[in-house]
Amino acid sequence: MSSVNVYSWQYKLREFWSVFRRDRAAIVGLVILAVIVFIAVFADYIAPYNPFARVGRPYEPPSPKHLLGTNDIGQDIFSELIYGARASLFIGFVAAVTATTLGTLVGVSAGYYGRVVDEILMRITDIWLSIPSLLFSIFLAAVIIRTGRLPMYYSVILAIALTSWPPVARLTRSATLSLKERPYIEATLALGASSRRIIFRHILPNIAPIILVEIVVRTGNAMLTEATLSFLGLGDPTVKSWGTILNFAMVKNAPILGLWWWFLPPGLMIAVTVMSVMMVGRGLEIYFNPRLRRY
Amino acid sequence: MLRYFLLSRAIRMLAVFFIIIILNFILPRAMPGNPASILANEYNLPPETVKILVSLWKLDRPLHEQFVAYIESLFTGQWGYSYKYYPRTVYELVMERLPWTLLLQGVTSITVPAFGMLMGILAGWRRGTKYDVAVTISAIIVYAIPYYWLALMFQYVFGYQLRIFPIAHALTPGASYSNFLEYVADVLWHLTLPVLVVTLTAYASYTLVTRNSMVDILEEDFMFVARAKGLPERTLMKHALRNALLPPLTMLAIRLGHIVGGAVITETVFSYPGVGYLIYESIMFKDYPVLNAAFFMLSITVIVANFAADLLYAVVDPRIRYVRRG
Repeated sequence: MSSVNVYSWQYKLREFWSVFRRDRAAIVGLVILAVIVFIAVFADYIAPYNPFARVGRPYEPPSPKHLLGTNDIGQDIFSELIYGARASLFIGFVAAVTATTLGTLVGVSAGYYGRVVDEILMRITDIWLSIPSLLFSIFLAAVIIRTGRLPMYYSVILAIALTSWPPVARLTRSATLSLKERPYIEATLALGASSRRIIFRHILPNIAPIILVEIVVRTGNAMLTEATLSFLGLGDPTVKSWGTILNFAMVKNAPILGLWWWFLPPGLMIAVTVMSVMMVGRGLEIYFNPRLRRY
Repeated sequence: MLRYFLLSRAIRMLAVFFIIIILNFILPRAMPGNPASILANEYNLPPETVKILVSLWKLDRPLHEQFVAYIESLFTGQWGYSYKYYPRTVYELVMERLPWTLLLQGVTSITVPAFGMLMGILAGWRRGTKYDVAVTISAIIVYAIPYYWLALMFQYVFGYQLRIFPIAHALTPGASYSNFLEYVADVLWHLTLPVLVVTLTAYASYTLVTRNSMVDILEEDFMFVARAKGLPERTLMKHALRNALLPPLTMLAIRLGHIVGGAVITETVFSYPGVGYLIYESIMFKDYPVLNAAFFMLSITVIVANFAADLLYAVVDPRIRYVRRG
């Protein structure tokens, strides 16, 4: 019998897969997500038309030539949808990573340094958490756009990141607190390791699973918020996201004109994508936290 | 202990209130252009007028003096002028819209938790059945559906296909009412779709929490004993509910902001004349004084409502009063 190196990443990956694949919802989510990521990456080859080009008459119903018809200025809605995958995923993911980084920074500092640092940081977190986040992000996005210094989609990313870090801070703080009490950390401290070494070598790798799950779940939430901000007209007009398409559909009264092919597909795409991201996140959470496993 | 709990919550509420006041002061001032010059551009005001406005609004004074003036005006309702509806004041506009928002939010703050908890209770009570699975799955699906998309769908189905509900405004335009009841009926008729949309898209988190807490309680020893004693189902349900409804009630406070957010977006789709729609209009027309004020007012209502929910929770669950930090 050959020996197995349980510390190799191949072994870890295989072990992860053997648990993860038993979770049917997570697998479904992963497959859907993979398809959408594929569409986003290869949008240039998949989309039949340039989404900004006027390629038909306005308000054309679905036909073989335009699978989902055209909008008010004759742009192909099917192509818009495909490019929308790129914008929505990209903005959601970048915003989620930014928010998680910010939250982890605050949470780990508060948990590790304790006392006054903890007190101050957690008070700020609590207060930040009490400000209604959707309203706050709408307000922030509008204000940042007004500076005109950044491309507009950056202001959406910033607005989402600045309003969604507090839960991450709370989570990483409590994880850091419980790690700090472990004997091996105390031993490392007694051996004279610096704070920096303990944080980067021992604490961060141990809370990496939490951070990973947070990034995935935050991505789902951030995509929803991005769609909402774009829907309110705060998105970047030079970028086609699903929220932007819905915004134009609403402004042009698509529902009352009966143009279902204009507003039905983008909403479905948002819902399906967010759901698949959430299912993957849930699967990861179950893998990392065996107590959640119920067979 | 109850006093300690109330005091800590009151302090937090005041801190949040203070932070929002500060943000509302700093952010608009960090941006290029001041209200006087923007107004001058928009309406071609002569330079003398701009000078008068600048000194009237103390824009030429140092920041700390501006801050004092800002705090003063905040509490006296002098919030400046709307760029879009000039010469109407921001205060007038916001106060005119606020009642509609409070109505929509008031109704949905009740329908959302009520509907969500009801679904959760039923699912938890019949845990493991097909009904339970269906409720749980639909709650997860609903979580991912954007409010405004459902609102557009409802406009299409009820306003375009079936034509049974109005799809915009809070009252029938130009209608005259012979009595108060007719007025109320018209208000309710217009309220139906917005309330339905918010309820159907925001209930899910209550359902999931209620269901899980219901399942946990039903597995407790005291429930087992109660069942073994042969107590009737009704009494069992009562025992379970008293305990299982506490977690979703805590959520009431946390999720209020969510419900308000949903109402804001829904107002936009239905052109419902509340503060949310005002926010949308001010974004479209870059009417920043109105945007600031609307954000301020809505945040305040959420914070006050949160505080009220906290109080309610302290009354309902005695345990919370003994936890020093929550």
